[in-house]
This record gives sequence, structure tokens and C-alpha cells, in this order.
Amino acid sequence: MEENRKSAIDRARDIVENYDGPDIRIMEVCGTHTHEIFRLGIRALLPENIQLISGPGCPVCVTPMSFMDEAVYLAMEKNAVICTFGDLVRVPGSEMSLWQARAKGAQVRTVYSPLDALEIAEKYPDREVVFLAVGFETTTPGACIAVENAAKKEIKNFSLLTANKTMRSAYIQLRTSADAYMYPGHVSTMTGMGVYRELARDYGISGAVTGFTASEILTALATIIVKLGEGKPFAENCYPRVVTEEGSRPSREIVGRVMEPCDAEWRGLGVIPDSGMRLRDEFSGYDARKKFQIPKMTAKGSPGCRCGEILLGEIKPYDCPLYGRACTPEHPVGACMVSGEGTCSAYYKYGSLELIRK
Amino acid sequence: MEEFITMAHGAGGKQTSQLINGIFKKYFDSPYLTADDAAVLAPPAGAMAMSTDGFIVSPREFPGGNIGKLSICGTVNDLSCMGAKPLYISCACVIEEGFPVEKLDLIVKSMAETAAEAGVHIVSGDTKVAGKGQVDGIFITTTGVGELMPGVSPAGANARPGDRVIVTGDVGRHGTAILLERDDYGMEAHVTSDCAPLWEPVHKVLSTYPGVHVIRDATRGGVGTVLYEIADQSGVGVRLDSSSVPVDPQVAGVCGMLGLDPLYLACEGRLVMFVPEEDAEGVLDILHGCKHTENAADIGTVTEEHSGVVTLITELGTETVLPQPTGELLPRIC
Repeated sequence: MEENRKSAIDRARDIVENYDGPDIRIMEVCGTHTHEIFRLGIRALLPENIQLISGPGCPVCVTPMSFMDEAVYLAMEKNAVICTFGDLVRVPGSEMSLWQARAKGAQVRTVYSPLDALEIAEKYPDREVVFLAVGFETTTPGACIAVENAAKKEIKNFSLLTANKTMRSAYIQLRTSADAYMYPGHVSTMTGMGVYRELARDYGISGAVTGFTASEILTALATIIVKLGEGKPFAENCYPRVVTEEGSRPSREIVGRVMEPCDAEWRGLGVIPDSGMRLRDEFSGYDARKKFQIPKMTAKGSPGCRCGEILLGEIKPYDCPLYGRACTPEHPVGACMVSGEGTCSAYYKYGSLELIRK
Repeated sequence: MEEFITMAHGAGGKQTSQLINGIFKKYFDSPYLTADDAAVLAPPAGAMAMSTDGFIVSPREFPGGNIGKLSICGTVNDLSCMGAKPLYISCACVIEEGFPVEKLDLIVKSMAETAAEAGVHIVSGDTKVAGKGQVDGIFITTTGVGELMPGVSPAGANARPGDRVIVTGDVGRHGTAILLERDDYGMEAHVTSDCAPLWEPVHKVLSTYPGVHVIRDATRGGVGTVLYEIADQSGVGVRLDSSSVPVDPQVAGVCGMLGLDPLYLACEGRLVMFVPEEDAEGVLDILHGCKHTENAADIGTVTEEHSGVVTLITELGTETVLPQPTGELLPRIC
């Protein structure tokens, strides 16, 4: 077994290292992939004609500034207890981040699950508790379960500020930026392979679902290279030990009961039709936008921030004038620098060797 | 003796002497520790080293030690890293009103046991009681004096290209033990802190190999932080072989789940040594024969290139930068 695995990874490595065909661009759309590719030093193996692009797969990075402004508004103006995954706390808003709001007395709590937020709501029935629902197919079911549970228990002081997103429309929108995608391993456990087969068939979009070990990443890269050479759109599952053809039907069902698709703004990419999820009308009591009648926010944006182009793979982080100067992990300007999964944060942490050798 | 520390124990009267006699004197039995205002000590023959350190760890007790043991190990190891034999230690304890006397007894007992193991005398002490809420349980500050071994001068600026980098045991255990003990993450794993006094192995290594370039204990910030400090101070690069870095499987498991790197978690009984290449094997042989350093390993080399940067050779044989952590990983670990 060990022998077989060894030879499989060696074969994949051979294909990747010795590729001499036309230039290809492969986009990974999962922050964990971005980091593992750096951690394993995979770029050092690639010949010049293979370019890896880090796409918009980190939920924090694609969250628009106006969303942060809404959250700050709820915290400061409506005195709501904001519950959020940790990274969002530091994303700058037009006026301030939640971190800064907290310093001014706002209640901002870091939680590991939407259900923790619901627990806080139960514990403090006289406070309004808002969970910042960001993320893709992997995190959305949890937010939906929290809403269903709240409805069942008739908890009224709990709501979601939604910015949930789905990847399918983003793949279509970004299809000219890359020749193939490394599809995210975790999201695919929810969606299954169907969405990728549809993208290949109807849109000519190619890609391979990829795991997270050195062997899995190299195997996916080799598969993409070989399949691109065959010239037909493809959808390959290179993470079959975890991702099934069907995916997780129960998680899709619960999302379907509680939420429905909507247009959504992606930071740096603009509005992508049908790429977001919002609460269905029957759950509007749990929709913070409706409940608190949040005014429309027009974010100011940070001058000079080029997160959008970075997310599209059009420029490298070090081509942005703010990177490493005004924008560092300690003092992030753009969202790509905030999250541990962000492209700029990965380049900042791991990228110095690449720069030394430049 | 009462069950809990009260403000009266710090007032200088009868209860104060009860506390001192009933607990501190009971365990600290050095001839240098008297009822007078200061210890009178003969100066050592060689140059002296002196170091001080405050301890505020939370929780105070953890698998493998407690704040008392930690307070002695920390200062003993700081002196040892300079090649100085720890001779005398003083300690100042700030105790919170209401602190259980039974717990204080355990902490002081650990201090005495650890000092005995390290061969150091506790020669002077002070206790203060602070009002409820003004400190968290007990804070301890220790100051130590040691005698430098003749002919040795390990220092952070002395690393040279070609040196081998040795770590004296598996990394990240203290930080992981503390993290698990706090139980913020609901994880079940059994990790014991590496907290230990390390004069014996240092003494043995320097007695045979006085030319060791750098010795530093990897406390806050862990081994990774030490490597960056030395790379910076010496103006060299460091190249680690990721597969050689010893990590306990449970530590690796916990870190994997939380996205932490064991190289950046605190140790309290691990030294990093930069050793001339020709001495490396001999130094490792000595360490393998000493208590607390049986699992010492050669983890990498010093390079002339990429000065100030620590790199890792990955499982694929490629070279990447060891990323530096930002912000505080874990507060109050020591």
C-alpha cells in the first residue's frame, strides 16, 4: 500500500514537473488549498508554463465592505450582540471594523458555530443577538439549522445578517480567468459532483475536486494537465475518499427549506447573479436586514486596494501598492490580508522566499 | 494554619510568620535562607550571570507541573543558556486574598523540589497578599544568580553558516498542555508539559564542547520564534528539515485541528542549540544520555543565504518559508 501510494505520487509529480505543453492557468478557489500549496512548496515544482491562480474561495475575502458596515451599524446603533467567526472581526468597514467597534463598547463575540450564537440568544433574552452568516456550502447549513431551531423554540431575539454564497455562479463568472479549477474539497462534500458535471456540459468549464495532502494536490494537478491535453471539458473527482457523486442531500435539503438564491455582491468582483443565499420569506423574522430595517449602505472602499484583481488572479499580491506597506496582517486594509486563508496573507507569510529569489 | 490566605497573612504580624514558617520555611531549607533581611553569599570564582522572570500562567496547575515548578525552571534555564551554573534564586510571591493554603503548599513544595533537582539554593523570598481580584491566584517572580563556566560564551549573535541546529526534545508540548487544560475547545487529549530544569544537560554538553555557538530556551513563541531571533541576531538564514522536527503525535493532532504550528507553541523545557557541524553528533550523544533531553534531534542547518529568514524543506523536498505568526497565539502560558 505504502509502495503504491509512493509510486502514485511520483507519477503525478513527473507529469507536473515535466509538463512542456502550452501555457495553462489553474485556479484554486479554496483558501486551505492556497495555504497548503504554499506550505508544501508546490509552486517550486511547477514549470514556467503552469500558473496557479488563487481565486475567490475565502469567505472573509469576498465579503463586501458594505456588509461590515451593516454589522457595525447593528452593533453601534441597534445595540445588538454580534456573534461572528473570528476573522471577520478585523475586516475594515468604511468607518471602523468590529474590533474597533468593540473598543467603543459594542458587544462582539467570537463563536465557532451559529448554534453557539443561538445559545447566547437563549441566555440573554433581553438582548438582540445577530449572527454574521458568511461562508459557502459548508457553513450555510449550520446557519439554517440555527434558524430552524430558533423557530422551533420560538426564540425571537436571534437573527442572521446573511452574506452566504454559492460557488457555482462564480465559476461561470470567472471562467475566462483560468483554464481549469481545482475544485474545493470541503464544499464538494456538500454539493457532490453534479454541479461540476453540469458546468462541464453546459458551460465548457473544467476542473478537478482536490483534497489537501501533498499526494492529493499533485494528483489533481496531474489529472488537470492530462485532461486539458485531451481537449474536452471535464469534471474529475480526485478526492473520492471524501467526496461522493451525490454529496450531502440532507444538508442541501435543510438549506433549501430555510434559504433561497439571490444576487450577491462579492468583494472586488461586483454583483454575481444568483450567487448568494438569503432567508425565505417565512423566516423573515430572523433576517436582521428586515428586522432592524438596516438602511442601504454604500461603502467607501479603500483607495489603492486591489483585492478584486488579486481575487481574479490578474495581479499578484506584491503588485498591489498597499501590500506589505500599508496593508499587513497586523493592519490589514483589504480582506485578502485579514483572513488566515486569504491570498495576500498567504503570500505575506510564505512569499518572502519567492521574493528573495526574484 | 488557616484554610485560605487572608490580608492578615501579608500584614507582617503573627499570621505572616505562620505562613512563612508553615509553608515556605518548611520546604526551603537552604542554609543561606535566614530570618534576616538579606542572604549573605560568597561570590563565585568566575563571572556572574543574573536573570529575572515573572510567572502568571493560567491555569496554575497543568499536567507535568505548576506555576511553582515553572518559576524555578524558567530562571534556571535562562541562566543555563548563558553557560552559567545556577547557584542562588530569590522568589517573590504575590498571592490573592482567599487563595487556598493547600494549593500554595503544593506550589511551594514544587519550587523546592525543582530547585533541588537543579542544584540551586532558594536564598531569599518575599510574600505579599493582594486584595481579591487584584491578582489571579498567585504571581511569582524569581531572580537567579549563576556562575559562568570558564571558556564558554554562547550568545544569540554567534550562529555561523554550516552550524547544525539541535532541539533538545519534541516541540510545543507546554503550550498544548496549557491549551488543553483551559478546555476552551472541548478536546480530549493527554499532553504533559515539558517543563524541566536543564542545567545538567547544558553542563555536560559545554564541559565537552565549550565551543557551542548558541543556546536558547524556547519559551514564549516556541522554537520557531527562537530560530527567527537567532537568524536576525547572527545575520544568517536557517533551513529546517520538516521531517526531523520531533512532535508528539497528540500535539500534532491538536495543532492540526486548531490550525496551530507546534513550532510556535511554548516549551518550558526545551533548548535550541547552534553547534559547529563537527561537534553536532557528539552533542547529540551527550543529550541522549541526559534526563529531559533523551529525544534531542538535529533539525536543520545554518545558511549564508536568505539571511534573517527561516525556511523548511517540505515532505516534497521543496523549500518554503516558515511563516511567522502574527498576533498573540495564546496569552498567559508562563
